[in-house]
Amino acid sequence: MSNRTLPRLLQSPAVILLLIWMLIPLSMTLYFSFIRYVLNSLRRPEWTSPSFSNWRGFGNYEFVLNSKDFLFAIQNSLLIVCSILFLTVILGVLIAVLINKTFPGQGIVRVLLISPFFVMPAVNAVLWINMILDPVLGLQGIAVGGLNDLVAGLRDAPVVGWFFSLWPEFNPISFRATQTSAYAVIIMVTWQWTPFAVLIFMTSLQSEDQQQKEAAILDGASAWSQFRFLTLPHLGRPIAIVVMIQAIFHLSLYAEIEIVSRGNGNKNLPYLIGEFANNNIGAASATGIFAVILANIVAIFLLRMVGKTLME
Amino acid sequence: MGRIVLDKVTKNFGDTQVIPPLDLTIEDGEFAVFVGPSGCGKSTLLRLIAGLEDCTSGRVMIDGEDVTEVSPSKRGLAMVFQTYALYPHMTVRKNIAFPMRMAGMSEEEQNTRIAAAAESLNLTDYLDRKPGQLSGGQRQRVAIGRAIVRDPSAFLFDEPLSNLDAALRVGMRLEITEMHARMNTTMIYVTHDQVEAMTMANKIVVLQAGVIEQVGSPLDLYHRPCNKFVAGFIGSPKMNLIEGAEAAKHGATTIGIRPEHVEVSATDGLWQGTVGVAEHLGSDTFIHIHGIDGCDPMTVRTGGNVSFKHGDTIYLTPDATQIHKFDAAGLRID
Repeated sequence: MSNRTLPRLLQSPAVILLLIWMLIPLSMTLYFSFIRYVLNSLRRPEWTSPSFSNWRGFGNYEFVLNSKDFLFAIQNSLLIVCSILFLTVILGVLIAVLINKTFPGQGIVRVLLISPFFVMPAVNAVLWINMILDPVLGLQGIAVGGLNDLVAGLRDAPVVGWFFSLWPEFNPISFRATQTSAYAVIIMVTWQWTPFAVLIFMTSLQSEDQQQKEAAILDGASAWSQFRFLTLPHLGRPIAIVVMIQAIFHLSLYAEIEIVSRGNGNKNLPYLIGEFANNNIGAASATGIFAVILANIVAIFLLRMVGKTLME
Repeated sequence: MGRIVLDKVTKNFGDTQVIPPLDLTIEDGEFAVFVGPSGCGKSTLLRLIAGLEDCTSGRVMIDGEDVTEVSPSKRGLAMVFQTYALYPHMTVRKNIAFPMRMAGMSEEEQNTRIAAAAESLNLTDYLDRKPGQLSGGQRQRVAIGRAIVRDPSAFLFDEPLSNLDAALRVGMRLEITEMHARMNTTMIYVTHDQVEAMTMANKIVVLQAGVIEQVGSPLDLYHRPCNKFVAGFIGSPKMNLIEGAEAAKHGATTIGIRPEHVEVSATDGLWQGTVGVAEHLGSDTFIHIHGIDGCDPMTVRTGGNVSFKHGDTIYLTPDATQIHKFDAAGLRID
């Protein structure tokens, strides 16, 4: 046994540091989630400093569960994450397969494709919501306005005018509204993260065995069959990796939600935590614990999925 | 049926012509081996026949039908690749079934054919494994199985044994030769190994720089090489090529004598030299000899029980009937 003591002793600083790193924030969150702790209260000044005498039991959890935004935030978190994953993986595979062929200007096209990934999230959000999706000043507003002008002009045209007079006037969509703000976030994050998927899939496609493809051609496989039976299985592992990394990142989206609608009609768990943390640290901590649980559930599913593809 | 005719086929990659106009006929049921040093265009030629490369000009005909513009899968050929090219995420069964599945063959028909192919290739116990769990030889057999089930008019092999170890290579060589004897289907086999070419082929096609140097049966090529290149390429150990005064005596620029056609003696003979290295194989001994005019080292092949050592003096006498004569252009003189 003694020959194991020294290695363990030498490992211990790193292990202890990592434990502290993880355990202290987690246990502080747990502690705050069981006490009454607010940043500012004129009526009950004793609640403004954390102490066991303010013990609330599961009161914070009950408060969070009963707040009208909680279930909505969980639902919305899942909607946003799943939609982004779905869109980025599909777009990523299609674009990667498309630009994997050799064509002139390939290098420039690839660099341009990757560039959205280097834009900061907040800049990305401002850019999209103000310059592209804005119903009046954005590209959307200009395009819809232009289309309306065109139709209006054609109404006076001879012969076909009657046909265009049947057309209604188009209305631009406001992406800051309660019903649509989640879609704005999905669009802009998909735009930003598709390059990441493309990058990973492209490197994987370049390692695809060309003789396998030639064998499949001789075996009579059509382009679709080659994609379905060779390329897609080959991409299984990178798809699992892209899904896992993105799920971790997108569960904690914040800047985009803040900038698009300040949480109006579109909250996720981190945003809800942020709102509670304006004053009620106890409730924010309880929500944080819920977020940890949700992240773990997602992680278990993902690890199973990734584990399965890695085993093959 | 599988009579393959190449008619003035050429291939350019960019501005370089890798195959100048080339004519070749492979008869139905023949085992043809394309052999040559690496980069001689033998693989390219095979890929032209398979349709994986387009001919720059000329025609490829299978059974009298022009297939130059026909897609690879419609040519009715099956190919076995050097890297096996198995589909890694499919089981052996699915790998073998793949071409039939693509052709939309019925499930029962597929199963009978898979069973028959697995039986003949000793793969029955491995049908539910993935390629990653098989050894190199087994993988190559799966690749052959995938080719057999298509019932092709000709098999194309692209250096199929180069990734196997020496012992396995000899075994697979026999299996493929036997398979050909049994099925009697046309086979085209590409290799850089002249031993494979000699042992397997009915017809050897020797290529150099995209040009066919000689076409013939293995013994034809061995006994009557039409030029210096073929003479040096076919046969192991290589033929000794002697230049200068010795060759002039026979009225040639170069003469060639195979190592097995030289008599060895410790006391007297036509040529005198010093032993460099003697390689004892048990059945034979290869002796590399220095100090003979026009050819250094000269290799001779003699019985297993000789005891020449490094530095010994040795006398050699060539068998006069087995001397090959070549002119200044390297062509055979009869």
